[in-house]
Amino acid sequence: MPLLVRKYCHIANREVRVNGEAFPVAESDGDGKFLTSLYRSLKIDYPKFFKMDSLSKLGFLASELILRDENPRFAPREDLAVICFNRSASLATDALHQAAIQREDSCYASPSVFVYTLPSIVTGEIAIRNKFFGETSFYVCEERSAQQIFRTVRHAFHDKATRAVLAAWVECGGETLEALMALVDTECQAGIPLEEFLRGANIA
Amino acid sequence: MPKEILVSGGGVISALGAGKEATLTALRERRTGIAPVRYLQTAHTELPVGEVKMSNAEMMRALHIPEEEVSTRTSLMGMMAVREALEHARIGGKEGLRVALISGVTVGGMDKSERYYLDFLENDTKNAYIATHDCGACTEMIADYFGVFSAVETISTACSSAANAIMLGAMLLERGLADVAVAGGCECLTKFHLNGFNTLMILDREPCKPFDAHRAGLNLGEGAAYLVLEREDTLRRRGAEPLCRLSGYANTCDAYHQTASSPNGEGAYLAMAKALEAAQLTPRDIGYINAHGTGTVNNDLSEGVAIQRVFGESAPPVSSTKSFTGHTTSAAGGVEALIAVLALQHGFIPVNLNFALPMPELALTPATDEQPTAPLRHVLSNSFGFGGNDTSLIFSRV
Amino acid sequence: MEELILELKQEIIAVLNLEEVAPTDIADDAPLFGEGLGLDSIDALELIVLMEKNYGIKLKDPAQGREIFKSIRVMAEYIYANRTK
Repeated sequence: MPLLVRKYCHIANREVRVNGEAFPVAESDGDGKFLTSLYRSLKIDYPKFFKMDSLSKLGFLASELILRDENPRFAPREDLAVICFNRSASLATDALHQAAIQREDSCYASPSVFVYTLPSIVTGEIAIRNKFFGETSFYVCEERSAQQIFRTVRHAFHDKATRAVLAAWVECGGETLEALMALVDTECQAGIPLEEFLRGANIA
Repeated sequence: MPKEILVSGGGVISALGAGKEATLTALRERRTGIAPVRYLQTAHTELPVGEVKMSNAEMMRALHIPEEEVSTRTSLMGMMAVREALEHARIGGKEGLRVALISGVTVGGMDKSERYYLDFLENDTKNAYIATHDCGACTEMIADYFGVFSAVETISTACSSAANAIMLGAMLLERGLADVAVAGGCECLTKFHLNGFNTLMILDREPCKPFDAHRAGLNLGEGAAYLVLEREDTLRRRGAEPLCRLSGYANTCDAYHQTASSPNGEGAYLAMAKALEAAQLTPRDIGYINAHGTGTVNNDLSEGVAIQRVFGESAPPVSSTKSFTGHTTSAAGGVEALIAVLALQHGFIPVNLNFALPMPELALTPATDEQPTAPLRHVLSNSFGFGGNDTSLIFSRV
Repeated sequence: MEELILELKQEIIAVLNLEEVAPTDIADDAPLFGEGLGLDSIDALELIVLMEKNYGIKLKDPAQGREIFKSIRVMAEYIYANRTK
């Protein structure tokens, strides 16, 4: 059975494309503000967004771009898995937490920052928003490998319970801010074969 | 399960000691590994912890690693446990087998990063440790030490990481993508997560009391544990002996809150129910549950509710061995899977320490008697992680 | 007290990332948790850190927060009575 990508999106270099089409985002300065601009451009009401760290915001926005016109939109699902990959785990947020506990004279760790030092929280955020009770997992890879992503997504369908996978590369560390997300769906009749999609997305 | 996945070896290091023997002895003698801080450099000496009672230098000597070599505490513990697991299963790397290493880890090389953070900023003396920070690097260091692995994967799903690694190992075998999978997890204590958990106000100042009405939080621990998994055909060909079978597994999402478990334990309920379904077992078949049982008010109630939803009023003996090891975070799923396997092999129930009073909300009393009511045939191990990432594994007698 | 109440509202908005809330949106006597601002257990912990960091008040048990964070006014009164900085 070929795995077909029903929908996808790509956020990189302050540009957003959904199924290949440009998605307009109002002007902003700084990547943090860019994510907020994208949130506003999506016209959704989810104040919890502002509490997330950058990695979760990025993954959350990618999932919204893909799922926003799903019908039904918020039907709970046990057959949809959320699987994310990246290179630097939660590095950006780790640095914030580390800076907070580094000072001996005023050591005030922030509970909300600490929570996001777990990269896998992004999969939880997407599941919470959409009521996805299926598998969630997060892989930290030395490099971005189309083969590894393809294999892992294929494994997820192995359990018979899973009928769709929201799979993403979400990287938010240092200078990089990039999300590439695909909805792989066994019910899908026409779509891009996942292997071809991953190759086309310039994943080594 | 399409193919039989068998367990042919295991290795562990935790607050209970290095190796399965030490672990088994401590469990049976009801001797906890939770104690005052001894190795971690921290101001929070008031917090009891489950430390591995070996310094990095001692582990390096045991592993014959030169003392000047760059390593992290997490990778050293991983090497200790993987070595025992490989020796136990008699895998030496010359069998012509494709052996995969799948390791769950979240804090990674943070122990060295926090020690040398200022050096990173101010001079170039410790730069070799920058590269050991990443979770992936930790698994690579373990793999490099042995040089027998054809595939290496790192999974990071907080406190369910190691359980998910075991699950992924089984999938690789079922798909024929590996012949043997060494799967589990490792994590050392760091200031990073001790302070983090402290700020979440879920650390007990006393030894933790899982499933007790007066439970007041968890004790952090550290360790590493790995199981060797293989298909029946590989095992037969090698003439190896199985310890037991991994008969079912499932991972589900609680989809409720970033850190809190849902009041109805939905994710935990689904994980246990689906693992039972995969194993083609009924709740009555399970003879022992090694619970996630962190000792926090929230987890134990939510998990207890989920256990009652699956098992009704007649749940099998339940215990949290975190009362022995502390919460070994990313390693917990491995440490506790290994304890579940030991329970099955030796026919005993690891007891739940420090229990006095049942939770008023539930008719669930954790096990304090090590004698099972009937011979153990199937045992279940729960591991839940922040993000609502819930996994249940079932091990069965061969 | 009114000054402290306004200061608290501004701090809470900043520390809890209540991006789309203005100080005037928070009624002095409205509950902070449950309905209203949609705050959760992590927010409560963040408020506990805020009390220690800004006012030198150290809470040992998160359950104490439930009483203190009933409303902005209750919180301000508690801080007024117990602050050490």
